[in-house]
Amino acid sequence: MARLLRPFEYRGPQTVGEAVRMLSEYDAQARVLAGGTDLIVSMKKRQISPRYIVYIKDIPDLNYVHYSQETGLTIGALATHRSIADSSIIKDRYNLLATACNKVGTPQVRNMGTIGGNICKAGPSQDTPPVLLVLDARLKLVSLGGERVVPIDTFFLAPFKTVLQQGELLTEIQIPNPPPVSAGCYKWATKTVAVDETLVGVAVLMSVDSADGVCTDIKIALGSVAPTPMRARQAEEVLRGKRIDDRLIGQAAQVAAGETRPRSRADFRRRMSRHLVSEAIAETWKMIR
Amino acid sequence: MKEIATFMVNEKHYELAIEPHMLLVEVLRDELGLTGTKHSCGIGSCGACTVLIDGRPVLSCLTLALTVRGKDITTIEGLAQGTTLHPIQKAFVEHGAIQCGYCTPGMILSAKALLDKNLNPTDKEVKHALSGNLCRCTGYVKIIDAVLAAAEAMSKEAHP
Amino acid sequence: MSQKLSVVGKRIIQPDAAAKATGNAIYVSDITIPGMLIGKVLRSPYPHARIKRIDKSKAENLSGVEAIITPEDTAQWQKFDRGLKDLPMIAGGYTVPADEGVLNERARHFGDAIAALAAINEHIAEEALELIEVEYEELPFAIDPEEAMKPGAPQISDFAGRNIGKHMPYAFPEGDADKALGGADCVVEGTFTTTKQEHCTAETAAAVARIDISGRLIVWSQCQLPHLARREIAHIFNMPVHKVKMITPFIGGSFGQRGSLCAEPICIALALKTGKPVKLVYSREENFIALESRTGFKCNLKIGFNKDGTLTAIQVYMLGRLGGYMGCGPMASAIGMIFGLGHYRCPNRAGEADMVMTNTPVSGAFRGFGNPAIMWGIEQLVDEAAERLNIDPLTIRLKNIKRAGETANMGLRLESTYLEECIKQGAEAIGWREKWGKKKEGAIRRGVGLATMTHCSGAAPLYLDHSNAFIKLNEDGTADLVVHPAPVGQHIWGALSQIAAEELGIHAGDINIVTGDTDVTLFEYGSDASRSTYVIGNATLMAARNAKEQILARAAEMLDISPEELKISDRKISSRVDPKKSISVAEVCYDAIYNFKGECLNISGKCSWESKWNSPPTGAFFAEVEVNTETGKVTVRRLVTAMDCGKAINPMAVEGQLEGGMQQGIGYGLTEDYVINKDTGVVETDNYDSYKMPGILDMPETKVIIIDEPDPKGPFGAKGVGEPGMVGVAPAIANAIYDAIGVRIRDLPITPEKVLDALGSG
Ligand SMILES: Cc1cc2nc3c(=O)[nH]c(=O)nc-3n(C[C@H](O)[C@H](O)[C@H](O)COP(=O)(O)OP(=O)(O)OC[C@H]3O[C@@H](n4cnc5c(N)ncnc54)[C@H](O)[C@@H]3O)c2cc1C
Ligand code: FES
Ligand code: FES
Repeated sequence: MARLLRPFEYRGPQTVGEAVRMLSEYDAQARVLAGGTDLIVSMKKRQISPRYIVYIKDIPDLNYVHYSQETGLTIGALATHRSIADSSIIKDRYNLLATACNKVGTPQVRNMGTIGGNICKAGPSQDTPPVLLVLDARLKLVSLGGERVVPIDTFFLAPFKTVLQQGELLTEIQIPNPPPVSAGCYKWATKTVAVDETLVGVAVLMSVDSADGVCTDIKIALGSVAPTPMRARQAEEVLRGKRIDDRLIGQAAQVAAGETRPRSRADFRRRMSRHLVSEAIAETWKMIR
Repeated sequence: MKEIATFMVNEKHYELAIEPHMLLVEVLRDELGLTGTKHSCGIGSCGACTVLIDGRPVLSCLTLALTVRGKDITTIEGLAQGTTLHPIQKAFVEHGAIQCGYCTPGMILSAKALLDKNLNPTDKEVKHALSGNLCRCTGYVKIIDAVLAAAEAMSKEAHP
Repeated sequence: MSQKLSVVGKRIIQPDAAAKATGNAIYVSDITIPGMLIGKVLRSPYPHARIKRIDKSKAENLSGVEAIITPEDTAQWQKFDRGLKDLPMIAGGYTVPADEGVLNERARHFGDAIAALAAINEHIAEEALELIEVEYEELPFAIDPEEAMKPGAPQISDFAGRNIGKHMPYAFPEGDADKALGGADCVVEGTFTTTKQEHCTAETAAAVARIDISGRLIVWSQCQLPHLARREIAHIFNMPVHKVKMITPFIGGSFGQRGSLCAEPICIALALKTGKPVKLVYSREENFIALESRTGFKCNLKIGFNKDGTLTAIQVYMLGRLGGYMGCGPMASAIGMIFGLGHYRCPNRAGEADMVMTNTPVSGAFRGFGNPAIMWGIEQLVDEAAERLNIDPLTIRLKNIKRAGETANMGLRLESTYLEECIKQGAEAIGWREKWGKKKEGAIRRGVGLATMTHCSGAAPLYLDHSNAFIKLNEDGTADLVVHPAPVGQHIWGALSQIAAEELGIHAGDINIVTGDTDVTLFEYGSDASRSTYVIGNATLMAARNAKEQILARAAEMLDISPEELKISDRKISSRVDPKKSISVAEVCYDAIYNFKGECLNISGKCSWESKWNSPPTGAFFAEVEVNTETGKVTVRRLVTAMDCGKAINPMAVEGQLEGGMQQGIGYGLTEDYVINKDTGVVETDNYDSYKMPGILDMPETKVIIIDEPDPKGPFGAKGVGEPGMVGVAPAIANAIYDAIGVRIRDLPITPEKVLDALGSG
């Protein structure tokens, strides 16, 4: 039952330094608040009742989308889904990320919700993690003790559990340049209606040798079919180094479905995984062929 | 402990002492008496509580009031000039897009955010812009008609 | 009746639309009164439990808490039926036992009210709620009707043996269905199940109650039936009726849910206890668990046909899930059987229903009542029969639908019906001929399907269907119309203005609706059963006619000609013979008041109208769907509703009702599923993150066709059109799915998994 919020102490740091200081001071009693589209709901449902709320959205230098040829793409943790989906560089070079951000929630949720919140929420059904997995994203985590950068495939531990330590703040998402001849896409099915939680999400990034048309590399990641977002590595093996055709796509999709470990609606999720993986590969293949 | 927050609502300046756990929807409705902002699901799913912050639609049921410091808020009460309706309001009225009317303020504000940027939206763009607002009465048909009609009226006004 | 109309039939703007568009409209949830407290309700986490002990001391000590009430406190008040049917009002003396107290010491369903409190604000009220300690004794519970009927199942209400709250026979049986089925050339049969659908009114249930210094109780209520609610509330709280005043502000949606008492009883109890005004607004979750939602049914249907497709017999057994209290649920089966079995011409009809009490939230009235549930099965079976008899679905229906002059669903003469036109025009619009019955290939297959239905215009002769209208003309020729429909969004104020203005020869905008206060309005049954335009409309028409006669008489006197010679239009009374002889309505109305002749009384008209008639609207629904055979996903591409609702008083408002019905119908058919955990009795879908109604992106291309032929009995030929809009949607979708992929889904909602299962590829 959603209720009003219980009282808490409010902190509005203006810098990352201030924020991590507060987080380390209040430790387990504090929660980071970004867009609030997840945290406020949990608080209203009394799933958590933090004593301190550290509101980070007033920190000016965490909301950006930067690109340079040398470093690739960097996104501030506070960039909203809306701003990412609208960014021309992302639409051009990382279209699958724009697609995933455009899928999140509703226009209002995309205006409020941040990519940092989407990653840190770490529910199985979040939409950006599968995409970030195939894009080899790295996450910059800052704490009072300093900063570390972790690859996203080591970030998620269990549903709603990550390597993020108490007192640590996600500040930046770093995404390398995509391989030269490559393309990718994000496909999903929702649980019931058009605007709804993701039942299965599939991201694919594929590169091809432009000379012989062989798939030199492929990454396939799925959301909402296992405790954490997962790579379908065996399915990738089916395709890597091969010339793609329908039969092979079908085979890879079948293998990917076998790699999933869904809990509820398991048969259906597996079936949808097969379907969406096959669609996503076929579409990607069409883009670069 | 209450904190002072200053912000604009419908072009009026407010300075209020607010408890941190107060939601924007509470402050608007209960403190400022702006009951045109509705509350319906409380968890971000229905859009009835939509207001514009710096021109963008957001959910006042998931927004801490303190976090709108320095921002510019538009609620449904801010659209009409006296008794002269905003073109979107006028279109909703004329197209029968309002039944019970409880979703209407949120719908109109979502539509406004769209039309303020795009006066020539397609059917599809209208639907996407309103996809965070649920209506149980109208089947959305007349709402879409109204937004398209408002777009036309507004673009005529903008480029006579 | 080919009358030239100048106001009726126009797409007028609603009198209340601007208020709603600007945030100016005040709903119950928006009301604040000085000194007002906020109420909250403590609800049972168990489906069936006895309250052993409630310790409210901690909560009471919280500063700002003004009162806490428990079942002990509310025992002084009368038990009641939230559906308002413990006091007789239905023909034949049908009543529902009063089985519910304001608070109850045995929780009969998850979410049942255990205690309530009032505090100075909502935050304190919520905090206090968490401080109330309750010791429960969990009791065995029954979730499904079948379980509940078994020997040894927990007894839910003491009057309901085997937990059967009501056994409902079909009200208009005829012939010998068993025998006719035995002799039929083709018998189709099946079990069809439907879900509990939540109304999802945009505004949640809310009430404000205040006791004034003279002991009068003033209630701001969303109830669709304000005068019945007034009587019920007076009865519950042991007050004379005149001590209760019901105010009806704008209502943020109802669809039948507010036909029962919702937040009122507890809110009033808190106001009585504290002596202060109290506002009680339910959360979305409480709307799901504490209020009535659509009755879920299991229908066993059997239909017999002759070789040539003539329907010969129909038989049904409906098993309905009522929930922990009786509520409006029982009537859902009665209404369903009347409309379902009475839809087609059929000489042998039999039906009965068991409405079973269970430890689940209560069931009640929702747009269409039991009609969508029974038509879900009937319209699929008719298609099945058509296929077996090698007749197409249009033809088999055209063969069996009733024609004007036959007996209608409620035993009255069918004065008008244009279902044939609905079927033909709808078929044309969907492209039936080109699309239906074609061979389908590929993973994604399209199909079209059809369903027809009939409904009612009010509840006569079943209920006492009674409305009053009073109209008074002001000195400038404008009028105040005193009526009390419930403004739930159905554009009723506009429709009544049009009816009154048409009759009086003035403009719709000349009418001021005086309403929403039982101190002022005459007795009014209220707004349900698709009755407002038809019955309150007839009362309004007759009141206006009464006033018009006086206007004409006075004008005749003033012009010195005979009243028969006069006509009114466009605010003017003129002679048919000599058009130069004319006078304005305003002048006549002015003269009635300002005349120095010893009387100064507004011209006024009054009508007390008990509807003795019922003109069923009929309609045909066409769906075009796309089924993905790999994923089981069903996408509705197009929906066409063709409706015979008599003369459309305001076509825009009629379209709105039907378009809204489509959304609810698609939800009923495909997405909405009220899930109760069988092991715990907990409602798992209690907000929009888990319960999914269609959003704007789920809506297909739609088309509404209004046949617009007047009915002899309705005001200016109107019939009711509030409910029909969703009745045929789900079966039309199911039939379209069959056309696309050759499988039948008999269990709502149609999920991808069920489609895949049916395809044998799950
Ligand atoms: C109606 C609705 C629909 C939704 N639909 C979708 C959907 O389709 N797909 C989807 O993926 N999600 C969806 N969500 C969930 C949520 O909106 C998104 O995950 C969103 O991206 C969360 O971002 P936020 O900024 O609002 O997070 P917040 O609520 O502010 O925070 C979420 C969590 O992350 C932590 N956190 C946030 N930022 C940081 C940081 N920088 N460093 C460390 N910890 C941090 C918070 O403490 C909290 O635990 C939906 C939510 C709603 C209300
Ligand atoms: S009340 Fe805020 S989204 Fe529903
Ligand atoms: S008009 Fe009633 S919910 Fe939209």
